[in-house]
Amino acid sequence: MNTATIPLVRVKDLKMFFPVSTSIMRQAKNFIHAVDNISFDIPAGSSLALVGESGCGKTTTGKLLTRLYTPTAGHIYLQDGAELVDLVTLRGKNLKRFRRRVQMIFQDPYESLNPRLTIFDTVAEPLMVQNIGTLQEREERVATLLEKVGLTPASSFLFRYPHELSGGQRQRVAIARALVIEPSFIVADEPTSMLDVSIRTGVMSLMMELAKDMGLSYLYITHDLAVARYTSDEIAVMYMGKIVEHGPTENILANPLHPYTQALISAVPIPDPAIHREPPVIKGGVSQPIDPLPRCRFYDRCPKQHSACQEEPAMKRVDGRKVMCWLYN
Amino acid sequence: MTAITTDQTQSLESIRRARLRRYWKNLKENWRLFSEDKIGMLGLGIIIFYALLAAAHPILMNTVWSPKVYDPFIGNDPQVFENPSPPSWRHILGTDPMGRDVLSQLMFSTRNEFVLGFLAATITVVLATSVGAMAAYYGGWLDSLFMRLADLINILPFIALLVVLSAFIKMNLWVLAIVLGILSGFGGTTIIFKAQALTIKVKPYIESAKVAGGNDWHVVFYHIVPNLMPLAFLNMMFTVTGAIFAEAALSFFGLLNVRMSWGIMIYTTQAAGYMLRGIDYWYLILPAGLSITFLCTAFYLIGRALDSVVNPRLRQR
Amino acid sequence: MAEQPLLSVRSFTLEYKTRKGYVSAVDNVSFDLMAGQAMGLVGESGCGKTTVAMALLRLSPDNAVVRQGQLLLDGQDMLTMSEAQMRDVRWARISMVFQAAMNALDPVYRVGDQIIEALERHKSDLSLEQKRQTVEELFTLVGIDTKMINRYPHEFSGGMRQRAVIAMALACSPSLIIADEPTTALDVIVQDQILRELTRIQKALNMSMIYISHDIAVIAEVADIIGVMYAGCLVEKAHTRTIFQSPRHRYTKALLSAFPSIAGPKSELVALPGDPPDLLMPPPGCRFHPRCEYAIDRCRQEKPPFVQVGDAHWAACWNPL
Repeated sequence: MNTATIPLVRVKDLKMFFPVSTSIMRQAKNFIHAVDNISFDIPAGSSLALVGESGCGKTTTGKLLTRLYTPTAGHIYLQDGAELVDLVTLRGKNLKRFRRRVQMIFQDPYESLNPRLTIFDTVAEPLMVQNIGTLQEREERVATLLEKVGLTPASSFLFRYPHELSGGQRQRVAIARALVIEPSFIVADEPTSMLDVSIRTGVMSLMMELAKDMGLSYLYITHDLAVARYTSDEIAVMYMGKIVEHGPTENILANPLHPYTQALISAVPIPDPAIHREPPVIKGGVSQPIDPLPRCRFYDRCPKQHSACQEEPAMKRVDGRKVMCWLYN
Repeated sequence: MTAITTDQTQSLESIRRARLRRYWKNLKENWRLFSEDKIGMLGLGIIIFYALLAAAHPILMNTVWSPKVYDPFIGNDPQVFENPSPPSWRHILGTDPMGRDVLSQLMFSTRNEFVLGFLAATITVVLATSVGAMAAYYGGWLDSLFMRLADLINILPFIALLVVLSAFIKMNLWVLAIVLGILSGFGGTTIIFKAQALTIKVKPYIESAKVAGGNDWHVVFYHIVPNLMPLAFLNMMFTVTGAIFAEAALSFFGLLNVRMSWGIMIYTTQAAGYMLRGIDYWYLILPAGLSITFLCTAFYLIGRALDSVVNPRLRQR
Repeated sequence: MAEQPLLSVRSFTLEYKTRKGYVSAVDNVSFDLMAGQAMGLVGESGCGKTTVAMALLRLSPDNAVVRQGQLLLDGQDMLTMSEAQMRDVRWARISMVFQAAMNALDPVYRVGDQIIEALERHKSDLSLEQKRQTVEELFTLVGIDTKMINRYPHEFSGGMRQRAVIAMALACSPSLIIADEPTTALDVIVQDQILRELTRIQKALNMSMIYISHDIAVIAEVADIIGVMYAGCLVEKAHTRTIFQSPRHRYTKALLSAFPSIAGPKSELVALPGDPPDLLMPPPGCRFHPRCEYAIDRCRQEKPPFVQVGDAHWAACWNPL
C-alpha cells in the first residue's frame, strides 16, 4: 500500500475533559477524562469500529469528530484535496463548509427525527441549511435518496411524519439525511442497537452497500462486537478514554492481545449452543475516569498486573495491530 | 449536485400532488381528532355563536334597527319612558340607564373582546416562546436575566399592577392588549416554555441539525420554537381568557379609556347605582357578565381539545 | 414418565381492545414447562412474548381480553382464580424480573426494605429478624455485598441493581421465575456475570425459568428449550440444540441467518425484508407468509397448526425446512 497516501481522517492526541462540578463561583477542580489522548487514522473507503462499554468515551469521540464538542486539546484532520485540514481550528463559515464532509447517524430512531417535520423537511434540512439547490432540485434529490435507502415509492414517504414510520424505516430516513449533502465520512453512533434483529441486518447491509457505492468511510460506534465484525475493516477498543487496541477486525477477534479486549470478547454470548464459552477474566466494575492516576487505566481490573503497570504504557505495533500494554513492551 | 436519473425518480408532478394530498389529509385528520372531543366542540360552538353575534351587529344596524334608537353609544328610544327598562319586544335585553339597547351594546362589544383577546394572546405567545427558547438554549446570564424578570412579574399582583399602570398610560383596548401581552409574555408563561424547551434542547434531532451546519438561530427558531407550538396554542387560549377578564375588571374600576365593552356595560350599571338594586335589574348585569364567563370558558375548552391535535406525538404512542 | 408439567399454557389467545378495533396480540399459544427447566421465549418487538409473560401473572393491562385458553400452574387454571388467590400466586409461586428493572426499585426506600416488603406479604410468619436474615442470604446468593442492604437504589450500579431485582424476585422462593429482557441495558461484561448468576441460581434451586429476549445468543446460553414467537403466534418450539442445528420453521431460520456472531467463520447475513404485520388486521393464513420467500398457496389461506415435527420438536409451518 502506498504509504504516501494520506488518510481521510486523522485524529491526533485528542483530549476531551469535562469539569465535574460547575458552579458560577468556583473554578472546576476535578475533570472527567472522557477522551484522553487518542490517535488513529481512517483511510478513505474503509470503516473503523469504535467499541467499548458505556462510559469508555466512544460516543464522546464521535461527537468530537462531528464538532458537536470542541476538544480540550488535540487535532482532527480531514483530508482536503492533497492536504489535511484541522477541524479544530475552524470556526464560523469555514466550519460550516466542512460540515458538508462529515455527517452523523444517531442511535435512537424515535428521537433523532423532529416529530413536527415531514420526512421531506427532515431529509432536506442539510440542503436548506447549507443553501444548496432550489426547492425543485431538493425535492428531486430527496426523492432519489429515499428510493436509494429502500423507502419506495418515495412519493408515499415524502410527506409523512416520523410517528407513522417503523423504527427501521426511521433509521433509513436518518441515513438518507446523512447522505443528502454527499459527505465523505459518516459517524454512526450505535445506529442499529435500538432496532429489531431482522431489521438490524437490513440497515447494516444498506450502510455497507452505500459505503461501497458512494465511497464513504464510517466511524461505527458500537458496544456490540458481533456488529463491529460485520460492518468494519478495523476495530479500535476503548477503555476509560484510551484506545487500548487497534487493528484489523478479524485479526483482533481471532487473537486479542490486550487483556481488556480478551475479556470483552470472551464475554460476548455466542448464538450456537454447541460452542462452550469460558468466562472472561476480569475484576471489579467500571468507574468514571475522574482525574485518573498516571498509570495504565486498566490496572485495577487487569488479571495480569505487574510492577511496570504503574506507569502508562505506550502504543506498540505487535502482530499487525497496535496495543497499549506492558505485556508487549 | 450530481445528476439524477429520471427512471429512478418520481416525476416532480407526482411530488406536487403528494404534497397537496398530504395537506388535505392532515386537515381532515386534525378536524377529526378535534371533533372527537365533545367538550372542545362545545367551546367551538360558543365561540361561533359570539362570532356570529359580532358579525350580525353591523347587518342589523343597517337593516332592521334604526341607528337613532339602537346605536350602542348614543341610541335612545323615545317610546321608552323610564330608563333602564326591562326586556320587551323592541329591546330584547332591555335598555341601560342611559337609554341604550343592551343587546346592541353586547353585540357591538363582542368584536372588541375578540380583537383584544387575540392580540394579547399573540403577543404573549410570540414573546414567551422566543424568550423561553433562547433562555433554555443559551443558558448563562441570558437565562438568569429572563427568569428573574419572570419572577418579578409573577410576584407583583396582576390587577394591582394594571391599576398602577393605568395611572401612567392612558389605556385603550390596543394599549391594554399590548401591555397584557408583554406582561404575560415575560411572566410566568416564559418559565413554562423554558422548561419545555430544555427537554427539547437535549434531543438528538437538535444535534442532528447542528451537524448539518445549522447555527444557533436556526436551531432555536426552526426546531425548538415549533416544538413549543402545542404548548403555545394551549397557552394562547388561557391568555385570551385572562385578557378578557382583565379588561372587564379594569373597566369596572373605570380605569380604561374604552368607549364600549362588556366591562364598560357593567361599569355603567355600577356608576348609575343599579348594581345592588336587586333582581329586577338582572338584564343590566347578567348579559355582560355571563358573556364574559361563557367566552372565557369557551376558549379554555378549545385549548384543551387542541392539545391532541397540535401535538402529533401525543396521538400515536 | 408422565411427569406433570409445572406450567401448561393451552391455546391461549388474548386481544387488546383499542379505539380502532381489537389487536390480536397472542394467538393460540400452547407450551409446557417442567420443573427445573429453563425456557427461552425469543422473538422481535410486537411478537407477544411480554404479553404472555404479563398474562401469566394476570398483570395484563385493562384493555386486554382473554378470548380462550388456560394457564395451568400445577394443574390449576390461573385464569379462573380470584384476585385474592392470584395475589398468593404472585411472587410466592411465580415471580418476575421486569424489563425496566432499574425502575422496579423505588428510589425513596432502602433496597433491603423493599425486599422485606415482598417477604411481608407472603412470609408474614417470619419475625423481622428472620426476614433480615433472609435478605442477607439473598444478597449473598446473587453476589451483592451485604453492606449494601441499607443503601438506596441510586447508590447501586446498573449491574448491582439488576442483581437486587433478581434477589427480590427470589425472595419468596418461587417455583417459576420469568425474566423479561433482564440484561438488555447492561454492558456485555456485566451481562455475562448476571447470566451466569441467574443460571447458577436456577439450577441450584431447581427453579423453572422463562427467559424472554430478542437476543438469540443469550437465549442459546441460558435456555434448555426455546420457543420462537412471531406476530403473536408460537411458530416453533424445541430443545436449544435442535433449534440451532435443525430449525424447521422459515422464520426461525431467517432469524438465525440474520444474527451476526463473533465466533466461527464470517458468514453472509441475510436480511429479512418488510416489517412485522399490523396485528389489528393480521394477514390471513400464516402470519409470516408476506415476508416468507417459501410461501405456498396454502400459507396464504390457512393458518398452519402447531404440530409435532420431531422429538420434542413442534412447529407451525406448511412448508417447513
